Amino acid sequence: MKIIQIKNLHKIYNSDSVSVHAVNGVDLSFEEGEFTAIVGPSGSGKTTLLNIVGGLDEATEGSVEVDGVKINELSARKLTDFRMKNIGFVFQAYNLVPVLTAKENVEFIMHLQGANKNDREARTTELLKAVGLGEMMNRRPSKLSGGQQQRVAVARALASKPKFVLADEPTANLDSHSTENLLDIMELLNKEENITFIFSTHDQRVVHKARRVITIEDGKIISDEVK
Amino acid sequence: MIWSIAWRNVWRNKVRSIIMIVAIALGLVAGVFSIAFMQGAVDARIESATRSEISHIQIHAPHFSENNETGLYITQAKELSEKIENLNDLEAASYRLIAEPFIMAAHGTGGGKMLGIVPEKEKRVSNISQKLVEGTYLEKDGRMPPVLIGEKLATKLKLKVGSKVNVQMVDMSGDLSSKGYRVCGIFKTVNTSFDETNLFVLYDDLQKQLAMPDDVAHEIAMICANADDLETVKSKVQQLAGNNDVQIWKELNPEMSILTESMDEYMYIFILIILLGLCFGIINTMLMAVLERTKEIGMLMAVGMNKRRIFSMIMLESVMLTLSGGVIGVFLGTLITKYFETAPIDVSAFSEGMEKYGYASQIYTSLPSEMLVTITILVIITGMVSAIYPARKALKLNPAEATRTE
Repeated sequence: MKIIQIKNLHKIYNSDSVSVHAVNGVDLSFEEGEFTAIVGPSGSGKTTLLNIVGGLDEATEGSVEVDGVKINELSARKLTDFRMKNIGFVFQAYNLVPVLTAKENVEFIMHLQGANKNDREARTTELLKAVGLGEMMNRRPSKLSGGQQQRVAVARALASKPKFVLADEPTANLDSHSTENLLDIMELLNKEENITFIFSTHDQRVVHKARRVITIEDGKIISDEVK
Repeated sequence: MIWSIAWRNVWRNKVRSIIMIVAIALGLVAGVFSIAFMQGAVDARIESATRSEISHIQIHAPHFSENNETGLYITQAKELSEKIENLNDLEAASYRLIAEPFIMAAHGTGGGKMLGIVPEKEKRVSNISQKLVEGTYLEKDGRMPPVLIGEKLATKLKLKVGSKVNVQMVDMSGDLSSKGYRVCGIFKTVNTSFDETNLFVLYDDLQKQLAMPDDVAHEIAMICANADDLETVKSKVQQLAGNNDVQIWKELNPEMSILTESMDEYMYIFILIILLGLCFGIINTMLMAVLERTKEIGMLMAVGMNKRRIFSMIMLESVMLTLSGGVIGVFLGTLITKYFETAPIDVSAFSEGMEKYGYASQIYTSLPSEMLVTITILVIITGMVSAIYPARKALKLNPAEATRTE
């Protein structure tokens, strides 16, 4: 079942003297339960593509349809709401709220969604246990390692039961052990809970795990391989 | 949860927040104390004016107040005075005769206002009897009638207790009347102008000198049990006073009425200036807090925290920061004020200038409770206003760019 349909997507950045075609006529679709890596050199447009798919950036031309909803036609307010309910984000720099504990960071998204306290607590505990942090739920990010923080970020991304998770270079700041650990957890969640993961990455370990690899260069898809 | 995040964010940079909270607290301590001092000075002035000078309410014959004409008097003054005293809201009433004499003493001359009073009645309306610095309160000693004068007049005319003065005035029939009085006492109020121009003699003595008929008065002065509701009492007194003019102290002394009414405005302007100064400090603090958290705010926007919630979070942080300093400042300011409510602040170094305008040289602070509520509300508003610019900055962030900020 297709959950994302991208048609003729363009993104042009105009500065005073230069015009950059960051995404240049991309047509793509993603099925539910995919574990996909988008790879390419720096500046190839993979992060821009991910941002547009995630509703964080606007396309210059073309459309992105998520589960039948054309997100580029939504108002800013509806788009924020749509992101909250349908998309999970994992960032390169973890981006946890430092004043909240691991548990509160995960719970916060559900709080925004209006979930009741019991549901929030049950799901937070379940997710943090799933990423191996059941014993560290009450620690603040400053008391966790980089790998542990990124696992909290994965749990946070899954808290709202999103249709898919977008992970922008999630292993870039992690050592090998943490990277392996994180990828194993995400792969497990993907297989057991059928959660769709889309990565933008340089990391060959991610590429190795991915079941589909899309290569992008100069804003264009140059290869799309399913293993 | 947003409340909890906002509160924790306040303490994210402890040193910066504490400096801001201390600045707010000190500003408000100074503001609260200054307001209490100014209010105390005004309260003392009103107290002095009503208890020593003009009382709460006065009755005069129609048009008497325009030029104090001797022939314009209230008839059946004793009966009216007694009826008024029987009103529930009244504490005491005293009837008086008034003349504008020319005073001659061995070392100089002067003018002023002479009040003929019944000492026992007057004691309950005016506190002049408690302001004696020398001598007695209109006690007859010898054949000459007694006169009570202010210290300023005594100094000016070089008079002492026992000194003789000659007082001339125009009587009821339009003839010049001259009479000798002996100084029986000298009083001193906080108002040197009052002390220089007011003399008190016995009602009977002035009645004879003015050749007035029996049972008349130029003025009936009264003190009310509750000074906050004089208009209601005035209307009751007016029913008894018939055609005579009934006026409360604010009408009798409009300058002082304006002073008390404008004092509230001065106080608000004063506190607003303090808060305006603090406002810039809070804006700076909040702006730094927002700019430091660009990445985090971008993440919150990305994961679905809408603009209203982002705005509320920053607004709450600002209000919490401001209110923390505000509560401490108002609390400490109130404590200091409470202390000086019973231990007066001595401003005698400026007493000559202050007493000339009727202000006491010892000030007891006074802080109206409604002022505390108003200050607290103004502090909250300051916090909210200060948050607007930093919050708008946050709302303009693009989540895609913000999350990748280094």
